[in-house]
Formats: sequence, C-alpha cells, structure tokens
Amino acid sequence: MIHIFDGAMGTMFQQLGLLRPGDCPEMLCLEHPEEVTRVHQRYADAGANIIETFTFGASALKLEHYGLQDKVTEINTAAVKAAKAVTGRDIKIAGGMGPSGRFIKPLGDLDFEAAYDNYFQQARALENAGADYILIETFIDIQEMRAALLAAKDAAKLPVICQLSYSEDGRTVTGSDPQTAAVTLDAMGADIIGINCSLGPEQLVPIVKVIAENTAKPISVQPNAGMPQLIDGKTVFPMSPEDFGTWAPKLVQAGASYIGGCCGTTPEHIAAIRTALQGVELPKFAPVRRRLMLTSRSKTVTIDKELPTVLIGERINPTGRKKLAAEIKTGSFVSVKREALDQLKAGANLLDVNMGVGGIDQAAAMKRAVTEIAQLTDAPLAIDTSDPIALEAGLRAYPGRALINSVSAEKERLDKFIPLAKKYGAAILCLPLTDEGVPQTAPDRLEVMDTIIAAAKAAGLQDGDFLLDGLVMTVAADSDACRHTLETLQLYRSRYGYPATMGLSNISFGMPNRPLINSTFFAMCLAAGLDAPIMNPYDEAMQNALMASLALLGKDPNGRAFSRNEKNLAVPKKAAAARKTDLTPLEALKAAVIEGETDEIGTLVENALLTGVDPNELTEKALTAAMNEIGVDFGAGRVFLPQVLLSAEAMRTAFIKLKEKFPASDENTKGTVVLATVKGDVHDLGKNIVGALLENSGFKLIDLGKDVPAEKIVAAAQDHKAAIVGLCALMTTTMTEIDEVIRQLKEKNIPAKVMVGGAALTQEYAEEAGADYYASDGVVALNIANKIVR
Amino acid sequence: MSIYNPAIFSIDPAETKRYAGLQKTEFNPRLIEEACTEAQLLIQPKGIWHIYEYEAASQLILPQEISLQGKSIGRHLKDSHKVAVLAATVGETIENQVTKSFEEGRYSFSVLLDAAATTAVEALADSMEKSIFSEVKRQGLSMTWRFSPGYGDWPIQQQPEILALAQGEKIGIQLTESLMLMPRKSITAVIGLYHAPALCCLPAEKKPHCHQCDKLDCPARRDN
Repeated sequence: MIHIFDGAMGTMFQQLGLLRPGDCPEMLCLEHPEEVTRVHQRYADAGANIIETFTFGASALKLEHYGLQDKVTEINTAAVKAAKAVTGRDIKIAGGMGPSGRFIKPLGDLDFEAAYDNYFQQARALENAGADYILIETFIDIQEMRAALLAAKDAAKLPVICQLSYSEDGRTVTGSDPQTAAVTLDAMGADIIGINCSLGPEQLVPIVKVIAENTAKPISVQPNAGMPQLIDGKTVFPMSPEDFGTWAPKLVQAGASYIGGCCGTTPEHIAAIRTALQGVELPKFAPVRRRLMLTSRSKTVTIDKELPTVLIGERINPTGRKKLAAEIKTGSFVSVKREALDQLKAGANLLDVNMGVGGIDQAAAMKRAVTEIAQLTDAPLAIDTSDPIALEAGLRAYPGRALINSVSAEKERLDKFIPLAKKYGAAILCLPLTDEGVPQTAPDRLEVMDTIIAAAKAAGLQDGDFLLDGLVMTVAADSDACRHTLETLQLYRSRYGYPATMGLSNISFGMPNRPLINSTFFAMCLAAGLDAPIMNPYDEAMQNALMASLALLGKDPNGRAFSRNEKNLAVPKKAAAARKTDLTPLEALKAAVIEGETDEIGTLVENALLTGVDPNELTEKALTAAMNEIGVDFGAGRVFLPQVLLSAEAMRTAFIKLKEKFPASDENTKGTVVLATVKGDVHDLGKNIVGALLENSGFKLIDLGKDVPAEKIVAAAQDHKAAIVGLCALMTTTMTEIDEVIRQLKEKNIPAKVMVGGAALTQEYAEEAGADYYASDGVVALNIANKIVR
Repeated sequence: MSIYNPAIFSIDPAETKRYAGLQKTEFNPRLIEEACTEAQLLIQPKGIWHIYEYEAASQLILPQEISLQGKSIGRHLKDSHKVAVLAATVGETIENQVTKSFEEGRYSFSVLLDAAATTAVEALADSMEKSIFSEVKRQGLSMTWRFSPGYGDWPIQQQPEILALAQGEKIGIQLTESLMLMPRKSITAVIGLYHAPALCCLPAEKKPHCHQCDKLDCPARRDN
C-alpha cells in the first residue's frame, strides 16, 4: 500500500500571519491549536493519510532557545491533539522530531546521552498523546539519528520512521551515503527508512533506489518543491504542484511507498501526488539475499562469498605488546591511531579494536578508541572484548554498524552479547566454543554453531548478521587441526552460506618457520571458504599468499591485479647504486649530500677517511662543495627548499660523524651567528631553516628562539662576539620590532652585521630599518653569511 | 553558534607538496605520505561559526555594528545581507611536533609536516563551508568564498573583532599581542551570504585565486 504524507506547515502559518520572525513556531500548538488543526485538515482533505504533528522543534534542546524547555510534554501533547482533531477516513498521526541543531561529540559539543535524553522525552510525550508513528526527520548526522532512534525505541512502542537529508554530493553533511545510512538504520531497528528536505524529487529518485537496494524495509520520501530561490527577499520553491505530482510515480518505481512533501509544498502539491498515484501499484522487487554489511559513518564494507576477501586488521590489540598496553594505560591513543592508519595503508578493510589492558576502565577505553578511530578513518570496526559493559560502551559510541568479536555458545555471551547486537544493530562474529570447551571435529563445531545462530535468530537477528569463525587449533598438538578447520569452513559454506573468518597464526604455534606454515595454511583456507581473515596486514608472506590465492580462486578476475603488482614483475630495479662505484669517496659523499641520502652518509664519511682524506679536505671538497652546488641550483629554481633541507640533514649527519672522529674540530668555525625571531612573533620555522643551513655549513649558531626581546638579542650579540645577527619577523604587525633591535645594536656599537628576513619583509624595508642585508630565503641567508665572514 | 569538528580521513599529499613549495618538482612521495599520515594523527580539528546580519552599504556587521575596513572586504561582501564568521584550528600538538622534529634534525620532515598541517586546516575550513552551506541554502541563500583579515587591504588589526564574532575562544584560539592566532595553524574568515536564484551547489569559484594575492614570490602560489 502507498501512504501519503502531508506537506510543509511553517510557511502556511507565516502566510496566515500567525508566525512572526523570532516566535517559537511550535507554541502555536498551545496558543492556536484550532489553526494547526485547520492546516492539518487541508492536507487531509488533499489526500494525505499520514499527518505529521507540528513538533519539528518541540524538543527541549530546541525549545531552550525560547526559554520554553519546560514545555516539551505540554506542546507535544497539544500538537498530537491538534492533529487528531482532523476528521476523515483512516488518518494516522506521525509524531515529528527534528534535529537539535548541534553536532554530537566529537563532531560537535553535544553529548550523545544529552541528545538521547532530548529525544526520549519528546518521543515519550508523542506516544502518550496518541501518535501512531515516531517520525525522525531532516537529520544531517547519522550519529544524532542513532541517538534519536535508540531513544524512540526505548521510549515508545511505535514504528519509527528515520529520514535523513542529503546534499548534492549524495551524502549527509557529516558524510554518510544512503547505502551506509540504510544498512546502519535497518540493523538498528528503524521500521521505515527515508529521506526528506534539501533536494527536489528529481535528485531524490536515485537516492531512493540506493536505499531500496540495501534494505527490505519500507522507504519514505518527502522532497522539497524543487531547489529554493530567493525572489523579492523571500525564499521560493519553484516546482508547481503538477510538476511535483509527476515525480510521485517515479519515486514509487524507485522503491518508495511513503510519499509526501517538505519545504515549499502545499496541499495542492499533496493533491497532485494523490492524483498521480491513482492506480499506481508498488513494484514487486525480487527479494535480495541479505549479505553481511558493516558500516562506519561514511562507508559500507560487504563480506560475502562472492566478493573479494576482506582483511580484518588485528593490530589494535595490547595483548602481548607491553609498549602499546602501557601507552593505553596512560591515556595516550597515538599508537592506537597510528596502527589504524598503517593497517589501512597495508590493505586492511576492517579494524579489530581490543582494549584488553589490565587495571583500566575497559568501557571508557573502548569508547575512546572507537570514537578516535572513527574520526580518523572510514573503515568499519570490530569491537573485540569479553566485557559486556565495554562492548555496550563501544557499540553506543560508534556511528556505524560494528562487528562484535565475539559471540560463543558460552551462556554469558549468548545472554548478554546477543541483545546488545540487536539493540545497536551490530553483526556478530560467531565462535564455536561452549562452556565445556572446544569442539574438535567439524560436525561438532557445526552443532555448536547451530546453537549460537538459533539463539541469535530467536532474539531477532537474521541472515546478514553473522560471520562464522572456523576455529584454528595448533597442528603441533593435533595433527588433524588443519583438516578440522578446512572441513569446518566447507560445512559452514554449504550449510549456512554465511561468510567465514578466523585468526590463523595459532596453527603454527610451536613449529619452526612459522611464516611458511601460516601462509600455506592461509591459501588452503581461502580455497575452503575463508572470506575475512583476521591478520597482521604488515605480514608480507600472508599478503603474498592472499594475492596469489585471489588470482587462483577467480576473485581477482584473470589475475589482473596480480599481474599489475610490481612485486610480481620480473623486471630488475634500475641499479642506481652502480653509478656511484665509479666515483671517488669524496665525490660519492658530495653526491649523497646533494641527493639528501642521509642513510648512506655515515658509511661514506668513514670510507673517505679510510682513504686518508683529512677532515678539512672532506668538509671543503665534499660537504661545502655540495652545499654550494645546491645553493646555485636553488637560486636557479631547479631545487626547492625541502630538498635543500634533505641535504642539510645529510650535512648534519656528516658533521656529527666527523665530531665523533675528531672531537676538537668543533673549535674551527667560520664565525658566530646570533639568530632570533623578534618580540611579538611566534613563527620560527623559517628562522629554524636558516639556522640549520648555517649550522651545517660550519657556522657557530646561537639560536635565541622566538618572541625574543631586543635587549636579549643585543646582549647575546655582545657576549658571543657575533659576526652576524639574523633577525626574523613574519608579519607586518611584528616587523617594526626589527627596527628597534637594530637601533639598540647601533646604540651599543655592536659590530655584527645584521641580516633580516621573513614573509612580510622586503629589501626596501630592510634598508629603511638599517639592516646590512635582506635575505629572501634560507639559501640566500647562507650565501650572505659566507660573504660576510670571507 | 555552531561547533563542528569534522572528521578528516586523509590529508591531500598534492596540496601538502604545494604548500611545501614543491609543486614544480619531483619529491620522494614516501616522505610526503609519511608527513601526511603523521599530521593526521596529530591534528585536533575544531571549528566554530556564527551567522550575523550584514549591511553592505555601510560594511557593518549587526547587531554589534562592527565596521569592516577596506575596499577588498567591501567588494567581497557587496551583495551579502548576512555573513558567516568562522574560526578553525587544528590545534597545537602538531605545531609542537613541527618544532620538535626540527630540533631533532628532521628538517625536511618538519617542513612537510608544517605544510600538511596547513593542508589540514584548509580542508577543515572546506568542510565547515559545506556545513554552513547546508544550513543557509534552505533559506535560498548562496555564499561567497571565505575571506580573512589580511587578505587584500583588509587590515589584520580587525582580527580581534573577527575572532570574537566567531567565538573562536570556545575552540581554544587566542590572539597574541601582535595579533597572531594561537595555535598558529588556525584561521578566521568571513563568508558572505547573498540571495541567489536556483542554487543547488556551492559555487565553483569559492576558493580564493592566487592571482588576487600580491605576494608574487610565494612558493605555494598556484599558476592559475
């Protein structure tokens, strides 16, 4: 059956002169309920059979703007009453809830729980007053939608409609695409999934299609009357009722069965929909096989026997990793985040998150890890814990559909984990273990798996919610361990058709050459039906086995990816090193400095010294010569600053090596430079670059840092008998301080030459300020310094 | 007032390369990649904005009656009747790491990390623009690109007023006596909101073009 919603309300009240700017619109329900009913009635008369209450902003967080936060129940009750006063056949009332206007942490400053409470209160009021649906609409963030949906489910027994708004790029403001939103909301128990506002019907047709491909739930859509225009200072939606009506059958064809209007629509638009949908039947979609889909805020990953293998990264796990454990314990998540990024770079599609550190608040750590990783990557997560409280903390905080790792047939897991999976829309990794232990053979494991799946299905989980663990035991302890696992995978595939997972490395425990055993076993398992290994994505042997297996199993059609991968190409790398063997040790050193090959420098310095070159000659002919050459190339625009700095790093390494060998060589400097960023200025990267170039070209550097008062610079120049004072200022607001430093230097008759630079400075300014030199960049500064001391 | 701290899933290596002054040359992509990854771990993106009424004829932001000085900002907002004033920062952790890396002798990495932080703060501001747009387009408004104190002849001396209008202190941005934003990788900007017919997307010309800037020797200057 096709249901017809109503259209816009607020604009009608404005036209009636009932709403002025600055008024709380929802107060109309209390002050003029008869007018609210009158507008509802017009929509009902036009053909709407679902009327949405005038309560878009009637939640505490919104009413707070008008100091009306105490009136939530009163307003929502009056609003439902006003809607129920509509007469006509079979009208249903949808209690509307709009967004809070704030983002939930960490995207904004609103607590998830505050959002939850906000919607709980409103949903409860709407149900008590007699609404037939809860309609959550115009949300732009999936996390706020999750809070509202959880609250509506907890507060009321009504069907919940979840409608997000999408931008032109097909995503919500915070990045969710329609597939990801549909999968997430479907799993969390939304009864009807849809879209409203933001776009016109034309733009919403493809979005409805995508939602229909990803959920079997009914779909609702309430487009704007086209894209808004401003005419004579008023926002106008251009689409006529007739045009709007012609889109209704197309929206139905795309998969929607609840149709209405949003901004700019009127009773005439709704009447046009009603007319256009006369005699239109809902299309019959072939039932889609439910596949396992996991989501983050903005991405869906599908694990399925027909799709390429999905790699679950196992590295965010402090078990057996003292350093990571210690860091988590002190509250630092830098390494956790690094593991997340590095594993994705190495090819992981999903990240397992385990916070099993003793002596910490597991729930708090899990919540934080999940939140931080979700801000950093779009890979869906597996929440890996044995603690139901930590599990719930993680699931609640995660703005997507996570995987629970894991649910066994142990009583506590069945009793506590499965309801959490249902509530938060998570999928479960099923592990065939019982309170009695590990079933050995494949048929025994299947029996345990039957128990888990039956329990989960009884709790409301369904196909597409399961990932089955093949269970790997140690072959050193049981020579049939590998065979049991392979048979288990095959039986899973034939009996359930659900995808399978497992951690592999257990197989080789106690054996020599474990990498070989592991990768061979891996290849066998992939052939037997392993779809999503949990593994270390940095492990090259495993990656190689995966790459070859995908080609062999037809998941990399014709081995195309395999053939493109450089690893598998027989072309030898260009022997760049060969060239250097023709060079003398000094030439090789010079070349390495120019190329910035810091790693080779130590060896090259030693090689040169072994051939009897003395340190001065080495500095002169290799290092200084290299820097000179770079300076010329830089001046000519052939090399750029970071490249110069790579060479400076190489120089630095060379000087450190020389100092190790000849500690006395420190004395022998070209001269002393006092360097500072002037008072008031906190930019020091440019100044640091100048310092690095000078120091690594044989100058003695006194770096005073940033925000340095003139007096301090003058004193340092005096005390160190500086040959050069280098001053840096980046902004027009701070460069006048340069004048002051120069004035004081002159006053004290300090003989040092003054060199200045920084983004805002110019040659003219430097001259006016009385500086001896202006350096436009670090290399110029080095050249000037060399000239001064020559 | 809206606070928005968007997730940043990657930092564009090409932009990082440009901000490091390397757009005209080859450079080891691994080093750039490394800096982008490190930056992603260290940034703490935070944004805040506020929408005000604006009177184009007198260049006044209302109701505070803040008068915007200079021709450039006046031109930029000539059709606007509202403005969004925003502030954004990627925090000081990354800034400290830039300094620390340099002290450790990782000069080029430090410069690349600094460039990646700049890329991140620009990406952050881009995300905020998108969010602002989704809010204002429902009112039939379109937006200009963001314009900051110091652009054109708009004096940097107005930075305190702009930061206060954006309520930047709520996300931890402060001003030094010499009117620099702290943390350094922060921005403030004003976006003009104006009536526009049949808009559906952010105007393509939302980004400032380098040719409008008079710093000709800027190593990050785009050719177009």
